[in-house]
Amino acid sequence: MSKKTIMLCCAAGMSTSLLVSKMKKSAETLKVDVDIFATAVSGFDQELASRQVDCVMLGPQVSYMADDFKAKLSERNIPLVVISMQDYGLMNGERVLKQALDLLN
Amino acid sequence: MTTKNLWQRFIERFTQISIKVGNQIYLRSLRDAFAMIMPLFILAGLGVLINNVFFPLFLKGSLLTNYQTFGNLIVNGTLNIAGLLIAPVVAYCLAQNRNYKNALGTAIVALAGLIVVMPTTIQALPVGTKKLVDISGFLSYSNIGVTGMFAGIIIGLFAAELFIKLSRIEKIKINLGENVPPAVSASFLTLIPTIVVIAILAIISAVLLVVFHTDLIKLITTIIQEPLRRVNTSLPGFLLIYTVGNLLFGFGIHQAVINGTLLDPVLLINTNKNMQAFAAGDHVPYIITSVFRDTFGMMGGTGSTLCLLVVTFIFSRVKASREVTKLSIVPGIFNINEPVIYGYPIVFNIPLLIPFVLTPIISLLIAYSATVLGLMNKTVVLVPWTTPPLLNGFLATGGDWRAIVVQVISFTVGVLFYIPFMKISEAVLAKQR
Repeated sequence: MSKKTIMLCCAAGMSTSLLVSKMKKSAETLKVDVDIFATAVSGFDQELASRQVDCVMLGPQVSYMADDFKAKLSERNIPLVVISMQDYGLMNGERVLKQALDLLN
Repeated sequence: MTTKNLWQRFIERFTQISIKVGNQIYLRSLRDAFAMIMPLFILAGLGVLINNVFFPLFLKGSLLTNYQTFGNLIVNGTLNIAGLLIAPVVAYCLAQNRNYKNALGTAIVALAGLIVVMPTTIQALPVGTKKLVDISGFLSYSNIGVTGMFAGIIIGLFAAELFIKLSRIEKIKINLGENVPPAVSASFLTLIPTIVVIAILAIISAVLLVVFHTDLIKLITTIIQEPLRRVNTSLPGFLLIYTVGNLLFGFGIHQAVINGTLLDPVLLINTNKNMQAFAAGDHVPYIITSVFRDTFGMMGGTGSTLCLLVVTFIFSRVKASREVTKLSIVPGIFNINEPVIYGYPIVFNIPLLIPFVLTPIISLLIAYSATVLGLMNKTVVLVPWTTPPLLNGFLATGGDWRAIVVQVISFTVGVLFYIPFMKISEAVLAKQR
């Protein structure tokens, strides 16, 4: 299996970047080799065009973008989920990472 | 039971409508465009800060003027071309949101379109004189700068929308046949749409210039921009819209859906005009600006939740709340508070929704009154919204220490206001268990 990339998206890409650092830490302990990065919703198209993305996770505050993004992702068969409010608020890197890994498999 | 249903129905409807407004494609493109050019406006703030606060500390007279050339040049490349920047960028964003591949082509047409509607003759002040003269062959900073921002937005969106629509009509694509290299026929693809868009704008502009002796920039500014700006940045208009946005965040949807579309464009015009005036040493016009809102209305993020964190730290006996507070304090210092909003949680938590929505109003009213009474400078420098409280107040007001005092007072009031609601919230939580 080649290295997978997980993209997280929120309003400004700030709070998701915090979650990304937690997810990376938990990926290290779980010994899974994944790329994880955060971006703002306004950077969604650009990131998608410029690099390989295997799964997209949205912060709950931008859940309203889900349908629109899903339509854009469907042609490339990339899965998308909205992170639950609780996991997001508690910055539960491990649970969110596991959710992403489930999506990738 | 019925009241609960009513409340839930209200939340659903309110969220739906807000999302519909905020996700409207033009407004969304506008929000994306602002995100793209924001670094330049922040740079302008830095330039103004260096020019008008830092240099005067140790320079005087003509030496100061010479040094200030540095900041003036930055203002030229940022604020003075705000309209020129926003037109192609908003067109680019619209193309992306419409899933149209040739976003760069769309941006180019929008830029050309904006120049087409510029007046051919402008008034200018020759250096060293006091009488305005008519000149031709120039673009003026006032038309392509901050004042022309709405014109840039509207022309950019109009040109882009028309261009994209026309480009998608198969019939008007010039077909050169199979033997022509694909790159050659691709270059013709956008030819007719480009011609049509620019020609339409040129006709409108020419009629306005020749027959009515006015121009599109002036019309858009006086008929659309100014009324909208006056209403939305008046004290009641501003507080109402901002509160609606914050309430939306209380239901889990980011406040930018409302604020980023209805407030930010007009607040940003105010900020930029203040920066320009401050840089030029003129009278600073506006109290309510985007940076005023960020500095006094969101200490620790939307809802001034840094107050809640302090309250929890001192008074809370609930372990979970204290844990979230520990996690949230560092992001909170940089005004990022999703951990508080979703983790504490504030979302759908009625006792905490009340101070979440009202604390910013109180703080903003305190800061507004302080400014009106002359106890504090107006906000004249755009600082990034992630700048920590106290420091942001000091920088935003062009280095006025009294702004820090106002922030400390607002913060203390916020803390006191959050206390009872935090206690109610914990009591409700204890009962539910």
